Amino acid sequence: MTITTIGTAVRLRAVSRIYGTGESAVTALDAVDVDIAPATFTAVMGPSGSGKSTLLHCAAGLDRPTGGEVSIDGVSLTGLSERALTKLRRARVGFVFQAFNLIPALSAEQNVALPLRLAGRRPAAGEVREMLAEVGLADRARHRPSELSGGQQQRVAIARALVTRPAVLFADEPTGALDTTASREVLRLLRTAVDRHAQTVVMVTHDPYAAAHADRVLLLADGRVADVLDHPAGAPEIAVRMARLEER
Amino acid sequence: MRLAWDMVRHRFAAFAGTFVAIALGVGVVAGSTTLWASSQPETPQRLSATPVLVHSPSVGDNDDGYPEYRSWTIAEAAALTGRLAALPGVTAAIPDPAFYVQRVVGGRPTGDPETALTEGHAWSSAALGGYRLSAGAAPARPGEVALAGPAPGSRIDVLTARGPATWTVTGTTDGPGFYVADATAAALSAGVRLIGLTVSGDAEAVAAAARSAVGTDGTVLSGAARDRLEPESVTRIRWLGAQLLIAMVALGSFVAIFVVASTCALSAAQRRREIGLLRAVGATPGQVIRMMYAETLVVAVLGGAVGVPLGALAAPLLAPPLVAAGLEPAGFAVTGQPAALAGSFALGIVVALAGVWTAARRSSRVPALDALRDAAVEHRAMTRPRWILGVLGIAAGAALLIALPTMSTDAQSSAMMGAAMLLLVGAALLAPVLIAPLVRLTTWPWRRGATGMLVREGTLTGARRVASTAAPVLLTVGFAVLLTGTVSTISQSAGADEAADVPAALVAAPDGVPGLSDAAVAGQPGDSYLSSHALVTVGGTTTRYGVAGTDGLTGVVLSRELADLPRRLDLRFPDGTTTTLPVTAVRDDAPEAILLPRDLVRRHDPGALTPAVLLDGPAGPATGLRVLTARAYVQIDIDEEGEIVQIFLAVLLALGVGYTGLAVANTLLMATAARREEFRALRLAGGGTSHVLRVTSGEALLAVATGTLLGGTVALFCLLAARRSIEEEIGQAIELVIPWGQNVAVALVCALVAVVAAGVPVLRARAGSR
Ligand SMILES: Nc1ncnc2c1ncn2[C@@H]1O[C@H](COP(=O)(O)OP(=O)(O)OP(=O)(O)O)[C@@H](O)[C@H]1O
Ligand SMILES: [Mg+2]
Repeated sequence: MTITTIGTAVRLRAVSRIYGTGESAVTALDAVDVDIAPATFTAVMGPSGSGKSTLLHCAAGLDRPTGGEVSIDGVSLTGLSERALTKLRRARVGFVFQAFNLIPALSAEQNVALPLRLAGRRPAAGEVREMLAEVGLADRARHRPSELSGGQQQRVAIARALVTRPAVLFADEPTGALDTTASREVLRLLRTAVDRHAQTVVMVTHDPYAAAHADRVLLLADGRVADVLDHPAGAPEIAVRMARLEER
Repeated sequence: MRLAWDMVRHRFAAFAGTFVAIALGVGVVAGSTTLWASSQPETPQRLSATPVLVHSPSVGDNDDGYPEYRSWTIAEAAALTGRLAALPGVTAAIPDPAFYVQRVVGGRPTGDPETALTEGHAWSSAALGGYRLSAGAAPARPGEVALAGPAPGSRIDVLTARGPATWTVTGTTDGPGFYVADATAAALSAGVRLIGLTVSGDAEAVAAAARSAVGTDGTVLSGAARDRLEPESVTRIRWLGAQLLIAMVALGSFVAIFVVASTCALSAAQRRREIGLLRAVGATPGQVIRMMYAETLVVAVLGGAVGVPLGALAAPLLAPPLVAAGLEPAGFAVTGQPAALAGSFALGIVVALAGVWTAARRSSRVPALDALRDAAVEHRAMTRPRWILGVLGIAAGAALLIALPTMSTDAQSSAMMGAAMLLLVGAALLAPVLIAPLVRLTTWPWRRGATGMLVREGTLTGARRVASTAAPVLLTVGFAVLLTGTVSTISQSAGADEAADVPAALVAAPDGVPGLSDAAVAGQPGDSYLSSHALVTVGGTTTRYGVAGTDGLTGVVLSRELADLPRRLDLRFPDGTTTTLPVTAVRDDAPEAILLPRDLVRRHDPGALTPAVLLDGPAGPATGLRVLTARAYVQIDIDEEGEIVQIFLAVLLALGVGYTGLAVANTLLMATAARREEFRALRLAGGGTSHVLRVTSGEALLAVATGTLLGGTVALFCLLAARRSIEEEIGQAIELVIPWGQNVAVALVCALVAVVAAGVPVLRARAGSR
């Protein structure tokens, strides 16, 4: 495998994350090396407790690894102050969680504008509306999260994550709480972002069908990358690989 | 800012506590400061028509900080009046002697005894107030008077320092006061202290001319400076009122900060997840702090916008009760005070920002990952700063209490208050630690029932939540026990002390009059003295001392405290005359600082009255006199003082309990609302609404009990320490009196508020779910 430092959206080198100390210490990530190429869609899979979320949090600068180095868009996160890390996250990282992505007090439109406003930028006219239109919610701009369905909320969250045109978009089980139709809609949006806007996307999922939308699937087990699947043929192939992994 | 506004609008329930606390706090402060600012010294009405006034010279300030004046002698006043009348622009120079006179109707003296002391005037001085005759003629001979009301020709009964008299009304005036012939007034009054100048042309020019004409013989006042002539009795009433208002402002702001701080802390804890999300999408710690400040600013502005009109509207309504309570002078009227209102509004904002300070700092440290965690779990009951501050507070408070006996008496009371505050705040901070054992102890009997178990486990895991409810109760009960205990103990021991000083069993005391007249005293068997005063000059400094005019004396007798004064005393009497007298003796049991022969005092102070007669036989009847036991006589003063102290207590306690109620209600409303999920689970497990209610009430009562116990204990320690230091000082045992009734009432009010506040969200949730 050739490693190109230039043109790597996210780079993890020997990244470890150990929770707790002494006897009760849990090694969630064990010296993981990962490179995410720009404008690709990567899915992260693995059994429950294998360290997927931890990997995502460390890669996104939400959590600090206990060892190794993370770089986003060529910038190393090691040694950055909380403030600098926040600013980097604001500028180069988008984030979608499984649930509770939106501030209940704010309308869809305001939620989408939030990262821009936090960056001290006044959203250009139509910028936010366009983003909402892209996720198919132009007519829901003034609705509060409590007035939106779960799928619509996730779409607003994606619009919010994409509005800053980040270097990477991280999503942790974005379809975990959605039914099939809503899931499909969300996955289509992510795929479109990669294809049309050259967006880099990293998504954690349990669902082989969701992972089948990706260009590449990383399979995690016990805090290590156990298998990599490039250009998966479809959900069945991924399911087989997963099953093989769980058997070991 | 926009974000803050949306946050506030959306979750107004979470900000309601802050809003109400600020609105009420600003209201209290705005009302109090408006009243205070309205209560400014004024030129007495009866001098208001006189543009330039000349007062007798001051001889320096007394212990209370008020200037002490001497009188001009009749001759001095006459000479000065002549000089002033000759000045260009002066139309008349009018001396203003004042004396004691009180009208008697149906054998009863009427009117306020204190103001009666200066109700009598010379007819010529009616012009000083611009008063004129509306009927009849001016009084010209002794026994003639002009006053408002009675028609010319009628006869009225009056009381003067000499005794009862019947005067003929010669004229009806259009202003208050008794006006007699100038010569009569001069004979009844003790010296002249004021000369009014009526002018033609520019008053300031006349004032300047008068200043050079008078020199050091007096002080010339014109324009607003005339306000300084307000009688000391009125100024004193204003001072008393100001004390209450200042206490209200201090307490109002302190408690408002407290409520805002606890509300913000609780809501910040409940919003942990939301703040984590903000951090995840790119809010820096600084932005989180700024957002919370902005939110609080919005709430504070709204609170202020409600509080300021509230205070401004309430102030005029409070004026009559304040006047009735003797805390503002008669005729006190509230005027608009924009500066006070603006200041209160600003104070509300400062208070709110101070209250949100810690909560904002704490929230800024919330990691972004908290967006992924559920907020309901309390991580730790105690944080390190909480430990440190709590222990420091207790230690500092205890150290102060231990050091109490070594301090001066003046410092002691403020040291005790300081110690109490430190201990109470310390106890409030450490409450989460103390709650667990207290809960185990109190729920022991009910540990087997489901409710008992739920309350027990709920409070043990939510120690911090229980502590937020207990804290305001702790403060209020603590202060209530402390204040009521101090006041009752002091008044109890003071009463015993003073009663011991009154030797005879029966006393002929004034009844509706400021003191007994010569005629009233003449008929009584027993000891008495004329109460007066004199200015004593020793080595250039002049001091005012109380003088008792008694029988069977020659020369000056000094009380023990004045034994150091020279053997020949330079005295100035109330009538302005000076003399030098030999000191003939020093006495231990003197009723006043200086004793002089009675007729000497009478000659130089025609207005002197007798405070009381210690009877050694049956009293004769006289106007304005009643017979009392020594104890009852002393009790009059104590009651008068006690009444004001009781008003102070009642107002401050009401304010304190009101705010506690607010704090408790707010904490519980927020906490119970946030526990909806928990209670839904309880219902699913087969518990009815009554079950949930029992759990919330149990927890609320537990919190109140904890607060009461801790607050009461701290206050008791403070009182015991204070008693020990006072006992050591006076070498006499003091009985500690604590009015349990009042304090139990305070605790019960807290408990009631707590149970209702905890129950309402539960009932609302049930109503909503049907
Ligand atoms: N805050 C934490 N403290 C201690 N241990 C943790 C913490 N977070 C995660 N872990 C542990 O680290 C390991 C990896 O957790 P992680 O959340 O990354 O798993 P995951 O692959 O996302 O699982 P799932 O599919 O269930 O979401 C697990 O064993 C978990 O128990
Ligand atoms: Mg996970």
